[in-house]
This record gives sequence, C-alpha cells and structure tokens, in this order.
Amino acid sequence: MPKARAARPRPAAAALARRNGQTAAAMVTDLRREKLRFDLRETRRDGKVVYEWEGRVTDPPPLRETAALSRDQALAIYRFMLMNRIMEQQLENLYKQGQVVGGVYFGLGQEGCSVASAFALGPDDWMAPMIRNQGSLLVRGFAPRDVMMQYMAKSGSPTRGRDGTSHFGDLEKRRMISPISMLGDLIPVMAGVCLGERMQGREVAAMTWIGDGGQSTGVFHEGVNFAAAQRLGLVLVIENNLWAYSTPLQRQVRITDLAVRAAGYGIPAFVVDGTDPLQVYEACRQAVARAHAGGGPTIIEAKLMRMKGHAIHDPASYVPPRLLEFWRRRDPIVRFEGYLTLKGWLGESERTRLRAEIEVEMAAERAAAESSPMPTPDDVLEGVYCERCHHPTPHFQGRPS
Amino acid sequence: MELTFVDAIRQALIEEMRRDPAVFLMGEDIGVYGGAFKATAGLVDEFGPQRVIDTPLAESAIVGAAIGASYTGMRPVVEMQFMDFVACCFNQITNFAAKSHYRWNAPVPIVIRGPVGGGVHGGPFHSQNPEMYFVHTPGLKVVEPATPGDAFGLLLAAIRDNNPVLFLEHKFLYRRLKEDVAIDAPPIPLGRAKVARPGRDLSVITYGAMVQTALATADQLAARGIEVEVLDLRTLLPLDCDAIAATARKTSKVLILHEDTRTGGIAGEITAILQERCFDDLDGPILRLTSGDAPVPFSPPLEEAFLPSAQALANHIERLARF
Ligand SMILES: Cc1ncc(C[n+]2csc(CCOP(=O)(O)OP(=O)(O)O)c2C)c(N)n1
Ligand SMILES: [Mg+2]
Repeated sequence: MPKARAARPRPAAAALARRNGQTAAAMVTDLRREKLRFDLRETRRDGKVVYEWEGRVTDPPPLRETAALSRDQALAIYRFMLMNRIMEQQLENLYKQGQVVGGVYFGLGQEGCSVASAFALGPDDWMAPMIRNQGSLLVRGFAPRDVMMQYMAKSGSPTRGRDGTSHFGDLEKRRMISPISMLGDLIPVMAGVCLGERMQGREVAAMTWIGDGGQSTGVFHEGVNFAAAQRLGLVLVIENNLWAYSTPLQRQVRITDLAVRAAGYGIPAFVVDGTDPLQVYEACRQAVARAHAGGGPTIIEAKLMRMKGHAIHDPASYVPPRLLEFWRRRDPIVRFEGYLTLKGWLGESERTRLRAEIEVEMAAERAAAESSPMPTPDDVLEGVYCERCHHPTPHFQGRPS
Repeated sequence: MELTFVDAIRQALIEEMRRDPAVFLMGEDIGVYGGAFKATAGLVDEFGPQRVIDTPLAESAIVGAAIGASYTGMRPVVEMQFMDFVACCFNQITNFAAKSHYRWNAPVPIVIRGPVGGGVHGGPFHSQNPEMYFVHTPGLKVVEPATPGDAFGLLLAAIRDNNPVLFLEHKFLYRRLKEDVAIDAPPIPLGRAKVARPGRDLSVITYGAMVQTALATADQLAARGIEVEVLDLRTLLPLDCDAIAATARKTSKVLILHEDTRTGGIAGEITAILQERCFDDLDGPILRLTSGDAPVPFSPPLEEAFLPSAQALANHIERLARF
C-alpha cells in the first residue's frame, strides 16, 4: 500500500503574502452594505437585440458610518455634491440654449464618488479628473464658471478656448493634471507624478479615475503595474458605472468585481458603493494615507450607475429601465441627505437655504461665463512650444536622492 | 575627449546628470546592464538606481511616467531599447506630451532617445526610421545627429529644452564614428542645420547616417570636379528652413537624401519649402534619393538593395550636375 503522503505544511499566510505581494483574499476590502450583481440578459424583442435586467428594485440600506469625517467635512462634501449637480443642470440649460460648443458630459448619480474621493486628497497631493468628475474640480478649487467656459469655448476658460470639457489643469496652485481624451493614459502619468515628487523627497498621492470601459486598455495595465513595481502612490478610482458608452460591463470583462485585478499587481483594493460618499471617502482616505507612507498604489472600485446617456446626445435607450429605477433609489444626494438628517447635521431649513444659496451662486457663475468673449484667433498658432515662457523647477527637500 | 558616437551620448547624459539633479533616466535594461547598446553603461553606479531606473517592459508606462515626472519639475530622459518600439507609446507622445503646452500651458521637458536606422541587418522591427510620425506632430521636436560632437551638444540642448524631444541615434554610427568632443562646449541649439561640407555645384540635404554617405561620396566626386555642398539638417522639427533656402540659393541644385522611406519622407516637405522660397533660384529639378516604400528587409542582400547606396547617390549627383 502506498504510503500516504504527508501533507506539506502550508506556508503561513504572512509568508505567502510576502512572497506574492499579498494574497488575493487579503487584498480586496469590500466596504459595501449590499453586494449587488447586474447580470444583463441579451435578448431579442421585435427583431431588435436588447438588454434586460431581472433583478429586484429594492430600497438601499443606510450609509456606512465612518468616524473619519467631522460634521463640517460631511457638510462640505454635501455642498460640493449639490454644486456638482446644480452646475450640470446649468450646463444642460446652456446646451439647450445653444451656448455650448460640442456636447455635455454628466456625472449624474456619480457626484458622491467624484466629490468624496477628491475630498480625501491633501493640498500637496495631485489629481487628474476624467470627464464625469466635474465635482472633483470644484473640490480642488476650480469655479463652476471655469467648467462652463470650457464647454462654451470662451476666451476666459482655463485653456483659453483651446480645449473643452474637463480638459484643463493647473500645475502650480491646484496640482491638477489635464486629462486627454484617450482613456487610460493618465494612469502612468499620475504614477510619474509620484515618481517625480519622490525624487524630490516627498511621498504624495496622485489620484485619477477610470471607467469600466477605460480599464480594458493596455495602458491601464502598464500604468498600474508600473506604479506597483515602483511602489508609487497612485490612487486609482475605477468608476464601474456598468456602461461604457453603450457597451455593458459583461461585454468588457469576464469578472464582476474589477477590484480583483489588484491581486495581479500585488496591491490592495477596495470595493465600495459609489453612491455612498462615506464609503468612497473612507477607502480613498486609506489609500491616500498609504501613498503618503510610501506604501504604493491602491485601486478603489466604486459601483455605481451612469444615470444619463454617454453624453447629452445619447438617450441611452439601450439601458433597461428597471436598472435605472433600481439606481434612481440610490441617488447619492438623497442618500447623503438622509444620513446628514439622521445625524442631526442637516435640518430641513438648512437644506433649503443651502440649495437656494448654491442656485444664486450658480446663476452668478453662469453670468460670468456668458460675459466672457469668444477667443480671438490672433494667437492661434502660438504656444505650441514652450520657448522659455515657463521654467519647470523641481523643489528638492533634503538631499536629492 | 576622444569619443565614439554612443560614448558621446553617454557622456552627455553624465554631464547633464552631474549638472542638474532634475535629470534622471528611465528605460529597459539601462541600469546594471547599461542599456542594450551601452549608452548608459556605468551610470547606475555613479547616480544610483533612483536616478537610473530599470523599468518594466512597458513603453507607454515609461513615457507616461516621464510626462508625469516632468510636471513636477523633473527632466526625465527615457530610452527606447530600439526606436521601433516607440510605436507602442505613440499616444503618450503625440497626444499627451505634444499637446500639453498648447492646451493648458504645461510644458513637458522630456527626452525620448534611442537607436534608429538600418544597415545592421536588424530586420523589419529593429531598423526603422520613425521620425516622420513625429515630425508631423506639432509640439514635438525631432533631432537626429550625425557626428559624436553633434550628438553630445544636441543631447545637452535636448535635455535642457522645455519641450518633448525625440532624439534619434543612428545605430550604424554608434561605434563606427569617433572624434574629439569638447565636453565643456555649450549645447548646440536645436533647429539649426549645419553645412557639413561646403561646395559650389550642388547641395545634398540630408541627416543622420546618410550624412556620412554624402560626405564620402562628395569626396569622391570632388576628384571628378563636382563640388558638392552637404547640409546636415540635425533637427527635423523644427526644420531650419533658412539654411535649406541658403544652400539652394548658393548652388541652385538640390538633392535630398534620406534613409527613411520615400512617401511622406522629409524630402517631400523640403521640396515644398524650396519651391515656395527658392523657385527662381533653381537650375534643375529637385531630386530625392530615399529607401523604397517597404518595410526594412532582414537578409543582407535585400537590405543593401533597399537602402540608398553611395553608388546611387553618385549617379543622382552626376545627373543633377549636368543640368
Ligand atoms: C482609448 C479610447 N478609446 C475610445 C474612446 C471613446 N470613448 C470615450 S468615453 C467611452 C466610453 C467610456 O466608458 P467608461 O470608461 O466606462 O467611462 P464612463 O463613460 O462610463 O464614465 C469611449 C468608448 C476614448 N475616449 N479613449
Ligand atoms: Mg462606464
């Protein structure tokens, strides 16, 4: 009789984690209170291929409490979320009045994610928004008029009419990198920002966002892996809003939780409910702290839903109505209002006052944007090159490493 | 200091890294190994792995990270192991780096350098001349030196430049050229061509390794009474249009020579410039001698037939001289 082979002692979890970066199980922290799946069924109706969703439309659980946010901070996040939404309503109006050049992109339903993630950054950290993260621009100190003027292609816009949407940045004051349209390319760039800062003696966090569509790009892999190999403080928020333009998640990937990708890079990840700003903030806060400690990158997958079409031209008729209904009950602003009310931090009158205040502010912002002239073409060919008009300067702290 | 072409590049990197702590290097196998062509040999020993960074095999990440670091005030110099692989990071270069200053006033002081060109039987993926992809992209600078001295001086200038610079090094020259290089000389400004050999009868406008071919052919033809002027462009973007016009006016006959393939090569652009600026000065057709419109073939007899030869150049020059 063959001798039973003695079971080999399993390496202790810690040793395994050391050898492999960390193990997959240890790496993904799921902060969600409801674990949802959104399997769509592709079917044919009246000769047309359509998507159906058979899940139940339920009410959401209460938000997940975090001790990390004070009353004032929570209210600040709430205010930015509200600004985000009201600003986008103004953008829609501007569009309908023919004042926008090109299309408008919305972050409806994603305000809590845009705002709470950016809110976790410190003043020395960097960020680079994607097109739906218009709330993050406000958190970083840009004015609604900046966004409006970008869409209106005005001379007063941050790019002086040279680019539109959220394609702008500010190296000096707000430490914001302008995105480009090509999805994914920001990821290695933000890793490089951390690298440059580290060489000057600082560990910073560099946050950027990517969609469930954009995470399919090759440069996503290159960038995250580069950041992981160099232990750079990239904080990558994957906004899994279930759609990439008209393509549902299950046509992009074979997995449901994009966060599991982190295991392949040996880095930690979070899964959060993207309509719960508290969860988003908590995960991002930890990721930023890890970056500051030189611990390397973190992926945060936020589950949410794009509540409008890809852009204003797109009625999104491919989205199953019940799926929208499900997420409509998870409006981040409504959910957060519920939380703040329950905490006794936001009363009815205060809420009305705040909304009115923002409406007034937004009207003024809009008037300012409208009064900016269109650019004149005299310098249309200028500024292609930097001929000593700027002086890129490092600021070494301590000895250059 | 007597330096080969590749050592002149290495020396320029050393000088800049000693002078400016913002300069650092990234690339594949550039550290302990010193680079596929040894352009960074020993640099990791002097400057440490923090400033001479062996990266993952990921060209978009390398260039992307360089762009990001440059936004914080650093001056990264990245190596493409072979410039053929620059196709892998085309988007970072042409859409991220090139448009940054125009769009939002953010300069991108990076250098992307590496070996180009054929003649070493590298085959279709280790022999290409990718300059024109980038010459067609406003916001970039494209440099290709022809001598160790120019390689040294132009690389200093490229690193100090505030714009993304593609620095193309013809690998055929790496160890075949050697000359005395003054390492305390100032940088050679980008965008200025150089008369590599003065002559009165006709002009050959060229760059890179073809400068050497042109000079050797010019010497031969001088014995037969044809005095050829050789203009070394050195920078392809921005082009030195004044120098191009000046040599055309001087000799009234122009031949453009490049190793890059024919259609969409810089010869077409230079021809357009010449007819815009020098129409009345020309006494003959503008000729071009280039590689044919095909991938670079591998087998030596094929590659030899593909690349512009000294003999073909001599024939073209003699034909033009008869006008
Ligand atoms: C590399 C690249 N390919 C294609 C596009 C065109 N495009 C813009 S947005 C988009 C869908 C993006 O989906 P996702 O990443 O999920 O972001 P979301 O719009 O859902 O926020 C596409 C295909 C692009 N911008 N970049
Ligand atoms: Mg999406």
